[in-house]
Amino acid sequence: MLFQWGLQKKKQEIQGKEGKDQSGQAQDIPEEPIHSQLEMNIDIVRHTTGDSPDIVIRRFDVGHERTIRAAMIFVDGLVDEKNVCQFLLEPLMTATFPISLLPADLFIWMEKKLAAVGGIRQISQWSELFTELMSGRTIILLDGIPLALCASTKGGQYRQIEEPQTQIAIRGSRDGFTESLRINTSLIRRRIQNPNLWMETMKIGKVTQTDVAIMYIKGIANEEIVQEVKQRLNRINIDSILESGYIEQLIEDQTYTTFPTVYHTERPDTVAANLLEGRVAIFMEGTPFVLVVPAVFIQFFQAVEDYYSRFDISTALRFLRVLIFFISLIAPALYIAATTFHQEMIPTPLVIAIAAQREAVPFPAFVEALVMEVTFEILREAGVRLPRAVGHAVSIVGALVIGQSAVEAGFVSSAMVIVVSITAVASFATPAVAIAISARLIRFLLMVLAAMFGFYGIIMGILVMTIHLCSLRSFGVPYMSPLAPSIPANMGDTLFRVPTWAFKDRPHLISQKNIERQGNNQKPQPPGSNSSNDSNRGETS
Amino acid sequence: MKRIIATVVSILLCGIILAGCWSRKELTDLAFIIAVGLDKTKDGKYMMIYQVVNPGNVAGATQRGGGSGGVPVSIYKATGNNLVEASRKTSQKVSRIPYYAHTNLVVIGEEVAREGLDGLFDAMERNSQFRATSMVVIARHHSAEDVLKILTPIDKISANQIIKTLQFSEKMWGETINIHVGDIIRDLSSQGKAPVISGVGIEGNVRKGKRQLSIQASEPDARLYVDGLAMFKDGKLVGWINGEASRGVLWVLDKIKQTNITTGWKGKKEAISYKVDRSQTSVAAHIKNGKPSVSVHIQTEGDIGEVLVPLDLNDPKQLLMLKTAIEQAIKREVLDAVERAKEKRTDIFGFGQTVYRSYPHEWRKIAKNWNESYFPYLEVNVKVESFIRRTGLRNKPYIFQQQGGKLEWKK
Repeated sequence: MLFQWGLQKKKQEIQGKEGKDQSGQAQDIPEEPIHSQLEMNIDIVRHTTGDSPDIVIRRFDVGHERTIRAAMIFVDGLVDEKNVCQFLLEPLMTATFPISLLPADLFIWMEKKLAAVGGIRQISQWSELFTELMSGRTIILLDGIPLALCASTKGGQYRQIEEPQTQIAIRGSRDGFTESLRINTSLIRRRIQNPNLWMETMKIGKVTQTDVAIMYIKGIANEEIVQEVKQRLNRINIDSILESGYIEQLIEDQTYTTFPTVYHTERPDTVAANLLEGRVAIFMEGTPFVLVVPAVFIQFFQAVEDYYSRFDISTALRFLRVLIFFISLIAPALYIAATTFHQEMIPTPLVIAIAAQREAVPFPAFVEALVMEVTFEILREAGVRLPRAVGHAVSIVGALVIGQSAVEAGFVSSAMVIVVSITAVASFATPAVAIAISARLIRFLLMVLAAMFGFYGIIMGILVMTIHLCSLRSFGVPYMSPLAPSIPANMGDTLFRVPTWAFKDRPHLISQKNIERQGNNQKPQPPGSNSSNDSNRGETS
Repeated sequence: MKRIIATVVSILLCGIILAGCWSRKELTDLAFIIAVGLDKTKDGKYMMIYQVVNPGNVAGATQRGGGSGGVPVSIYKATGNNLVEASRKTSQKVSRIPYYAHTNLVVIGEEVAREGLDGLFDAMERNSQFRATSMVVIARHHSAEDVLKILTPIDKISANQIIKTLQFSEKMWGETINIHVGDIIRDLSSQGKAPVISGVGIEGNVRKGKRQLSIQASEPDARLYVDGLAMFKDGKLVGWINGEASRGVLWVLDKIKQTNITTGWKGKKEAISYKVDRSQTSVAAHIKNGKPSVSVHIQTEGDIGEVLVPLDLNDPKQLLMLKTAIEQAIKREVLDAVERAKEKRTDIFGFGQTVYRSYPHEWRKIAKNWNESYFPYLEVNVKVESFIRRTGLRNKPYIFQQQGGKLEWKK
């Protein structure tokens, strides 16, 4: 019957080759047990995989007299071929089998004594067989046995661990995530060597069957959030996920917002730090971007170096980053509002200088600003996608043609060029790209408001934006926390970064139960004050 | 339900979009009036003179080829029965909207000032664009029109030239005062203080000074200069104080920051100059037997700037004598100023206000007759304390070494 099913399937494929993918979904492999006849099994594998040449089927004989036929199936490129040959094929082919072994005993003998790989188990269902086969395991089938051996031989080529391309730090670890889920999780395991670092895997994507893992620290992470993450991931019913962006968009709390409510990063140290604050990380096979939830607004202004360098400079940089965010948000809007509504607010010499530049400009300030901003967005979009060599050419054309010639020709004023440039540079200076992009979109909205209502419009826009920000949640955690709702104990890591010894609590709303991060007496003391040190320690313990 | 929401939202959106841009004005649609002048025409109407910036010709803009190398300001005139009428009338001549938010200078013709300032500032105070921090000057011996028409070499916009001259002159020399519209309004509306306003004069050929050719020479044909303080009484200009006496006014008003006092020494006039670096004045009022008196206490600190007589500055006794001489010089200036004001019976020092602050009840009785019966006979005690902080880089002047010993200055 199973054979018939296989043949039917083959027929269907032949008949409807064009219409095969019309549904967009692959045909489900039925929950059928594996047949006992080897040839029939091999046929089913070949038919199901469409005879794809990268499915390697190696036949060989086992048993005392070499009379029992067997086959090994694996996907070329997904397995470590050296492992397969050396530790599976070679022992099986060269072994001396005891004389009187029934096929069933032989099967167990092979599993227990011959296969020299770490993970090996028996499987009986086709669906399971194909899942394992496609994820890079090696299947061994034996004639007369309705079971298969599945050996863990994952391997093949991956990108090496390299320095992350985004989120570069001057001081900090140089390793970044790769496309391999296993390598990525190991990078975290190396940083948090604790059995409480728990991981759960699942497969998402009906067609792609992508491995997804969630990782959290048991005892620090809030159980409710972990459950929520699992529930949201399990809810996903989609044919494919190719990047963690798919997951991000399917699990975020609020779709209609420009602000990211899921943090993504390429840096293992960032993920480790977030896990230690009680967050949950979501890894995915095939992308170096790991998602971290729940995310709060201020998190997008925190760079890893803030914690590696001393607190004074970190605090100064935090302030600078918030300033940068505001510049990239409102600089063109301010220019428009000040030059078209509030000329009295500009100092006299400056207003005369700007007026002088604008004498020859044929457009109103808003149109001028819009044209320049759009031009810049075009340049940026062109520059991002281009190969690096051509990218330089684009930047030269952009700088010379747009920057200089446009001013010389009198299309735009040089003040406008300055405003657009500072906005552009500011939008690149934000540590997380996700928040810079939301500022980029809101900027245009604010420009329109500024052109219509001046400062009043800008204030209204920012007010609406603030209200919106306060209404956002990320996995139940208020997006603006710990600023709103105000949690004084966690304020030390917002606009300021207090000294490391003062980081007493984890974020209260994220790791709700286990909030104590460090002891009370972590402030370094000069050697002379040891006695007072000891007495303090006595009090706190 | 959805339709209702959609309707309401679209109506609200209309409100936003149609009402938008209500007060929008592009920079190229504005005429930046940098200075306003006020004169009287022969038939008794007000003539307003506007100095409008021509942005294309301001330095900096010319690099880009925007300017034709012309003059940076342009003068517009309009007459009317009042200021607002005149202001609106200018739209017949100016191609842009007159914009007063950057008006930093008000020049009042001497003739107008003599007739009275009373109504002039109301329009300026009432207008939401006009700033109370605009500076006010009186065009001395000339019309405001002439003053505003003179072109100036360094600060191309002549209003800026006058403003900066006033600011720095007050700071460095202290014979003129930098006074704003708001100050004048306050003085005019309060009892016991009359306004003083600096004068601006023109030296040279007025007619030639209006041409651009004038500022192409190293010495322009006409120059603006600030000079003298105009005293007002009941809003009318009654007289001028010039020279050192006008500095006396600033001493009392505590406006002196830095200046230079020259004093004679042993029969030689103007022998030693004292650079004042810091100064503070406090004025106190007393009433004895119904008779008010005022004491002015001036404290100064400064360096010796120049010594033209053989004088040993190492000698504390000499320094003490020098100090007394300086104090006398300052005191003379102040008393001189007080004398001039008493002559005109106008309390430009605000002594009346000081009395009011100390004796509000008594003030009520004397307020009405303050200017006529009390101020001219007011007893003003001036006490000056000068302190010589440094004597410069040299102790004994070289003159002393040339003539040292031979002269018998040492007893």
